[in-house]
Amino acid sequence: MVAAQQTGLILSNTETVPGRRIVEFYGVVTGNTVRAKHVGRDIMAGLKNIVGGELKGYTELLHDSREEATARMVEQARSMGANAVVNVRYATSSVAQGAAELFAYGTAVRVE
Amino acid sequence: MKFTPRTPREGINVSDVHPLAEAATLIAGLSAILVAIALVIVFFVDLVILFLPPKLEARLFQNLVAEQLLSAEYDTPQARALQGRVDSLAEQWPDNPYQFRAGILLAEQPNALALPGGIILVTNTLLQQAESENELAFIIGHEIGHFKNRDHIRQLGRAALLGLLAAALLGQNVDSLSGSVVGLTMGGFSRSQESAADEFGLQLVHGTYGHVAHAWRFFERVAEREGDLGPFASFAASHPSPGDRIERMARLAERNGWPLNGPATGLDGLR
Amino acid sequence: MFEIVATLVLLMVTFFIGNWLEKRHYADIREREHRLREFPVVTFKTIPATWRVESSQLAQGSVVVSVDYFKRFVAGLRGILGGRIKTYEPLLDRARREALLRMIEAAKSDGCDAVINVRLETSRLASSRQGGKGTAGVEILAYGTGLRLAQ
Repeated sequence: MVAAQQTGLILSNTETVPGRRIVEFYGVVTGNTVRAKHVGRDIMAGLKNIVGGELKGYTELLHDSREEATARMVEQARSMGANAVVNVRYATSSVAQGAAELFAYGTAVRVE
Repeated sequence: MKFTPRTPREGINVSDVHPLAEAATLIAGLSAILVAIALVIVFFVDLVILFLPPKLEARLFQNLVAEQLLSAEYDTPQARALQGRVDSLAEQWPDNPYQFRAGILLAEQPNALALPGGIILVTNTLLQQAESENELAFIIGHEIGHFKNRDHIRQLGRAALLGLLAAALLGQNVDSLSGSVVGLTMGGFSRSQESAADEFGLQLVHGTYGHVAHAWRFFERVAEREGDLGPFASFAASHPSPGDRIERMARLAERNGWPLNGPATGLDGLR
Repeated sequence: MFEIVATLVLLMVTFFIGNWLEKRHYADIREREHRLREFPVVTFKTIPATWRVESSQLAQGSVVVSVDYFKRFVAGLRGILGGRIKTYEPLLDRARREALLRMIEAAKSDGCDAVINVRLETSRLASSRQGGKGTAGVEILAYGTGLRLAQ
């Protein structure tokens, strides 16, 4: 997300980009990834379920997936000629046993 | 705020990897991992067995009371005659740590079994069909070969390790684990183990009779009756095909200079 | 041995059928998206100043897509080895675009001229046959507020 914004495309989960004005809006953009965890992480998670604590493996996995989904959404927006995506929302859902879909969506707009 | 309809480029949320390519890579990767695991298990078990003395193994299994799993006759006159044959064959194995027990199993198929602990069973049908003592001796010798090569504990070790790994990785129940371990142990040996048992059996036969004539008559009869099923069937079966076994034995006898001709010994007291 | 061959045959058959169905669906989706491209759909609540809203109502569209044997098999392998399940991506992409299109078509047939505050929800329908562990299908729901504008 930092990388996307460093190249100039603004992401915001508010109605508008704070301090800027939307002049044109184009449509809904989406980005998603579906990822499965491997048995190694499963076993670690099983152990952690006994002692408790953060499942670092899963945190990393889902963070990377979210980055990827956001990057795809940004790419869609850029291909439409937008310079910002507003009202960004995230959703996680389980689509298969042991696999999660990371989903990001928003509206591609041009701000100034 | 003005609305300008625009659509994003196609294919951003889809990978350009062909699904068949993905499936093939996954299958290949998984197969490679499974083969690697199998090799590691075999290597590890073989290593551990080097440190397990045969006498200890014999004592461990003797208490397994395998004889109660199958109802066989141990005390009939025929069974005792069989015991005599087994003992004389076993004399050809100087380092034998087992106290072999011979029994006759009532079954419709001609067969012979080696059970953990030194139990050798022969079916009554096999005794009926045998043409000479020589072929029976080869079959018994084959079973003794399994004991010499420690095939039982090898299989048990491999099955146990495999079951343990499966339970750990795939989360299966431990009860079904013990069931499958028993099944795999009693189920059979690999083809190389069978060939090695054949070779030792033939060695014992030569030691007892001075020749190997009539030793593989049983397999010749099987081959004649059923016909050779071809390479595909023998790949899937746990035993090598009869034709293959006969060929190997003939070559082994030739290499060692064991005579292929000699008198057949009768089956007195065994029927 | 026989089971391996049978599984491979089933995989190939389901792959080809699934692939063909997918291509057909995509063609249909692209055609409808092209037809409806002038219809404004946004995820935010701000109404442009130039629009005069006469009335509004909730608009929604949903679809349930099934997962064919080939995709389930690949997902199962991924469950052991980990990684991105690339075969599921076109499935979800199609389902999402279909749900959005249905929402737009429903709104349009009700006389709406735009849909704002669009939200998307995905859920997995568990297979009762496998004790709730298998996936019978994936449902995607798209809903928003349809606006009727004075021209």
